[in-house]
Amino acid sequence: MPEKVRLSITVNGVEHDVLVEPRTLLLDFLRDELDLKGAHAGCEHGVCAACTVLVDGEATRSCLMFVAQLDGAAVRTVESLAAADGTLHPIQQAFMQEHGLQCGFCTPGMLMAACELLEHTPMPEPDDVREALGGNICRCTGYQNIVNAVCAAGPLLAANVGTPTAPPAQGVSA
Amino acid sequence: MSSVEKPVRRPDRAALQDRRWVGRSIPRKEDPKLLTGRAAYVGDVSVPGLLDAAVLRSPYANARIRSIDTSRAKALPGVVAVLTGADAAEVIEPMTAFCAEPVPQHAIAIDRVRFPGEAVAAVAATSRYVAEDACALIDVDYEVLPAIVDPIAAMDAESPRVHDTLDGNVVFHRRVDFGDVDGDFARADHVVRRTARWHRMGAQPLETAGTIASFDPFSQSMTLWSNTNFYNFLPWTFANMLRVPSNRLRVVPCTVGGSFGSKHLTNKVIAIAGALSKATGRPVKFMEDRADNLAANDNVGPDRIYDAGLAVTGDGEFIALRLEIVDDYGAYFQFAHGQHGNALSQPTGPYRIGSLSYEISCVLTNKVQQGFFRGAGADPGNFILERLVDAAADELRLDRVEIRRRNFIRPEQFPYKIPTGNTYDSGNYEGVLDRALALADVDAWRGEQEKARAEGRYIGIGLASCQERSGYNATEWWFLYDKPPLPATSTPESVKIDVSAFGQIRVELGCPLWGNSPETVVSQVVAEEFGIDPGEVSVTYSDSTSGAISAGPGGSRLTVMLSGAVRGASRTIKDKMIRIAAHSMEADPADVKLVDGQVRPKGTPSKAMSMGDVAMLAHLFKETNPEGEDSGLVTTFTYDHPYASLPSDDRKDLGAFYPFVSHACHIPIVEVDVETGVVKVLKYYAVNDCGTLMNPKLVEGQIMGGIVQGIGAALMEEYRYDQEDGSLETGTFREYLLPSMHEAPEIVIEHQETPSPFSEFGVKGAGEGGRLVAPTAIASAIDDALKPLGVTVNELPMTPERVVAAIAEARASAAGDA
Amino acid sequence: MKPAPFDYVAPRTVEEAVDHLTRHGADARVLAGGQSLVRLMNTRLATPAVLVDINRIDGLDGIALENGSLRIGALARQRAAELSEVVHNEASLLAQASAHVAHASVRRRGTVVGSIAFADPSAELPAALLALDGEAIVTGPDSERTVAAADLFTGAFETSLREGELISAIRVPRRPDAGAAWTEVARREGDLPVCGAGALVTLDANGAIASARIALCGVGATPVRAMAVEEALTGAEPTEDAIVAAAERAARDLDPPSDPHGSAAYRRHLAVAMTRRSVLRAAERAREGAANA
Repeated sequence: MPEKVRLSITVNGVEHDVLVEPRTLLLDFLRDELDLKGAHAGCEHGVCAACTVLVDGEATRSCLMFVAQLDGAAVRTVESLAAADGTLHPIQQAFMQEHGLQCGFCTPGMLMAACELLEHTPMPEPDDVREALGGNICRCTGYQNIVNAVCAAGPLLAANVGTPTAPPAQGVSA
Repeated sequence: MSSVEKPVRRPDRAALQDRRWVGRSIPRKEDPKLLTGRAAYVGDVSVPGLLDAAVLRSPYANARIRSIDTSRAKALPGVVAVLTGADAAEVIEPMTAFCAEPVPQHAIAIDRVRFPGEAVAAVAATSRYVAEDACALIDVDYEVLPAIVDPIAAMDAESPRVHDTLDGNVVFHRRVDFGDVDGDFARADHVVRRTARWHRMGAQPLETAGTIASFDPFSQSMTLWSNTNFYNFLPWTFANMLRVPSNRLRVVPCTVGGSFGSKHLTNKVIAIAGALSKATGRPVKFMEDRADNLAANDNVGPDRIYDAGLAVTGDGEFIALRLEIVDDYGAYFQFAHGQHGNALSQPTGPYRIGSLSYEISCVLTNKVQQGFFRGAGADPGNFILERLVDAAADELRLDRVEIRRRNFIRPEQFPYKIPTGNTYDSGNYEGVLDRALALADVDAWRGEQEKARAEGRYIGIGLASCQERSGYNATEWWFLYDKPPLPATSTPESVKIDVSAFGQIRVELGCPLWGNSPETVVSQVVAEEFGIDPGEVSVTYSDSTSGAISAGPGGSRLTVMLSGAVRGASRTIKDKMIRIAAHSMEADPADVKLVDGQVRPKGTPSKAMSMGDVAMLAHLFKETNPEGEDSGLVTTFTYDHPYASLPSDDRKDLGAFYPFVSHACHIPIVEVDVETGVVKVLKYYAVNDCGTLMNPKLVEGQIMGGIVQGIGAALMEEYRYDQEDGSLETGTFREYLLPSMHEAPEIVIEHQETPSPFSEFGVKGAGEGGRLVAPTAIASAIDDALKPLGVTVNELPMTPERVVAAIAEARASAAGDA
Repeated sequence: MKPAPFDYVAPRTVEEAVDHLTRHGADARVLAGGQSLVRLMNTRLATPAVLVDINRIDGLDGIALENGSLRIGALARQRAAELSEVVHNEASLLAQASAHVAHASVRRRGTVVGSIAFADPSAELPAALLALDGEAIVTGPDSERTVAAADLFTGAFETSLREGELISAIRVPRRPDAGAAWTEVARREGDLPVCGAGALVTLDANGAIASARIALCGVGATPVRAMAVEEALTGAEPTEDAIVAAAERAARDLDPPSDPHGSAAYRRHLAVAMTRRSVLRAAERAREGAANA
């Protein structure tokens, strides 16, 4: 049996010291070890991007990365977005408002990719969204409402004085 | 037995205009859990002691299994059980078949594999990783047999057979003539002929099929957590397959990450999880991975070759339609002729076509069997019909809009019985067409087209006007058999409404969340009925031990059926509340009304009681309530299909089985690169009529999603098998191509509302329409773009390579004519 | 889809990495961006016993001019190359080709060198390297050597790297004077092209084509130079007619594979079309460059 790898990884602000099998994919680590079920296994070969999370701020397919690579890294998942009191993050609110989801399976990946985009491009245009989220597959919506939602998230975020990757203050809604 | 005409209730337009919540784009109730990673899809569920499963699949299309050695796999640490097909057959039955022919299918193959990807062995282990390690250690000795790939060759009497239990590979053949087809063709001035090919495509929801099975050997009971749909409709088929008593099976629904028809049953997955749980005595999760799903899920749509004719008068009036269809069903026939029963609901489309000949040959080959995929057989039906209509316009030199106008069923002709016996409820097809032409500003696009042609670019303007049948009845499963195995006639939907002693309403659904919006729809209907805010309504999901019979989503039925079920249950509850309140107020129940969440007597509003006041009486004040009222405020209402009738014995009339008929006109604009064959959709216009809109924004979501799936069908999606060895060439998402954001055009939608007289609120289905219309609309747009080159599209998907080949062929043919 | 077991090492220096690769030979694979390799591992088409993660090695992510050529280190990401001003100015074809690789989020992980070492015959970057007449700087257990792109790609997913060797960087001659264009047809945006072509065209003082270099992907077991086209173009006037005629030669001697995205015949057809389009655009840009100079 291969030797396990010891590492420290911060997920949604919480540091974990872990010992993992080298082959453990980041996706499975999040889902099985940390019980964070928001990132989804859609294809596990890097095409659909339903497993997208932020690794050091970059939207990353967690099915194409081993957790062993991530000593010292900071990971954010969809679970970090909404406040504990049920206040949705402005990006989530925008998806709800624009009907940017149906079955919801691709949605966490879309949201995290949108977070990264909005961090760099606070008021994105549709072409910016297509560039940033174009590799995320959705089988339900036909995409138009997703594009609209990410564009709508810009003003919502600005009104919320939040940043895409920081949760909103509890009780504050845009 | 003859078809019974049902009474028609004319929609009360005044009442529809009065509605407060039905028709509003309220936000989805389902969204927050989906947006936050809390949806609890089956892959998210965990139970103590859970094992993970993986399946070893055949690399060969057709082979005999000489031997399987599982010893190395069993010896691997972490492996708890390894089952071959023979091992599994010790604990489970073959999968329930809906066909009359002897085509047994085991979830794990026994002695012979018949399609690439058929399961050969299954492993339960402490993790999916270890289970896959074990699969790699199973040694299978195959005797590879010639693959049966081409359906036409497979029809030959001399062809090797996929199943030795059958006389040949044509597992089902039938021709049914509805009306005087031969006479109509004889008197036609003109017969338009087309051949067409609709290739094999699959649903491919982003979530694969999965199940946790937990067998309790002491009580012989089984619990399943699953993304199946039919747990409150046909749960006994699972029980039978799993060899447990039907009263000891509990199926717990999970949130479903999309289905598009593919998860009605998910038998293979349930059977494999169940067998492994029985073998290990522990709960086992089998979650297909994408390779499992692409190779072996029953999510495959039709795979058809059409030879078709349309009989037309000199005036361009359609009088008869003839369809000869060879359909490649793959290696098994579990769902029988499935997708043809469906297609017979609307083969003649929105047109007055008096007679129809429908001949099908269902052929078995070494491919995964057909299941169901959005459109369910009516998708290629719309394609061939609209191809014939465009061909008729071309050949008679009539405008494609004009020929449609001449043949549309007119608004005053509804309800309209088509030759097969299905009845269309209502419609105004010319109204939809006119709005679509205006919305798309076709004249402006003609100008663009002309300019582009001058620059050597090819822009095309498509047009298709198609039906979207909704609300199926179970008769479609069997009416093409004379002696069907299960001639069922029920397709109900049930809900339970439970009002607490505080007057707060909870609705329990009998069906799962499949990616659509049942919670929102139910909340809107309850809000409408009780005059409360939909936000106050709580919606939960029953499991198979608590829910009443419900067929769930499928066939674009759910909004229609839930409206009926919720309204029925609401009325029962409201009646009881009114009786109790009236008694308490010493008023005549006829003078008491439930409005705005209050029970009010006529004339004396000050005596109004809140819902909580009445509910508390109902719960705890038996002795002061009216005599005979039982305690509590709960009811289960089962809404059966409101407009269905039996097929005739001679099957010349199939009865009404899909009567809520939506309609749409789509006008896509495409640009074709005539050198590379790449087709880009520039813009997409759609006018839709699905009767009363329950929630416009959600309807638009369904339409847009369906259109983009239809663009996939028209240009990208196809299962491909090697023509020689039968191996699957599209085994990952790198080969089976789903449209991305880049291929999705801007879509502009408008609605016309022609309420159904057959449904509550006049709603009709909207779940499949986009995909039922878009493929043929895109085909029409490509034709229009390439008109100067003389290309007509007779095959979908039109991959770039096929576009190039079609152009080359048209040029060669033009050169030959010259 | 789960990878088979492997040992994981994360060396801190190139020497250490080479040492691991030498010790484990064919059982070891280098992990850079992982956007292709991990997919192969998940589907168990690749089952290395040892994964040598080079991401912890400092100083490998450089993109810089060095002795008159552009040097791109083994950890420079495709996205960085795509957006790099130096790459745009000195080897624009590489930036253009990079922009076609997959999607932005993949390019932020995937490396230029990784894609070249992976040697997918359908991929853009190996063909771009070939068109640019670039070379790989290969570090082995005993020495460092350079391998010209023409000698690097030996078959589908095969290079002339020996056991224990690592591509530590690529080097591309500066071509600021060349007009460059990348054109491709992919079934879906972001997918590997069915066929793509990169062209570099320089003009002489009279405006005739001084040199043309063209490489294609998706038409063989390796990226392929369209030499017959290059010959026909050299010395020719860059007229549309001349370019159209020359591009017809692109399909000569090609033996493309067939797969679900395109048959051999379709790929031959595209080879001509992509070549023509790229050369037309590259010639146009060369003219513009000369005009601006």
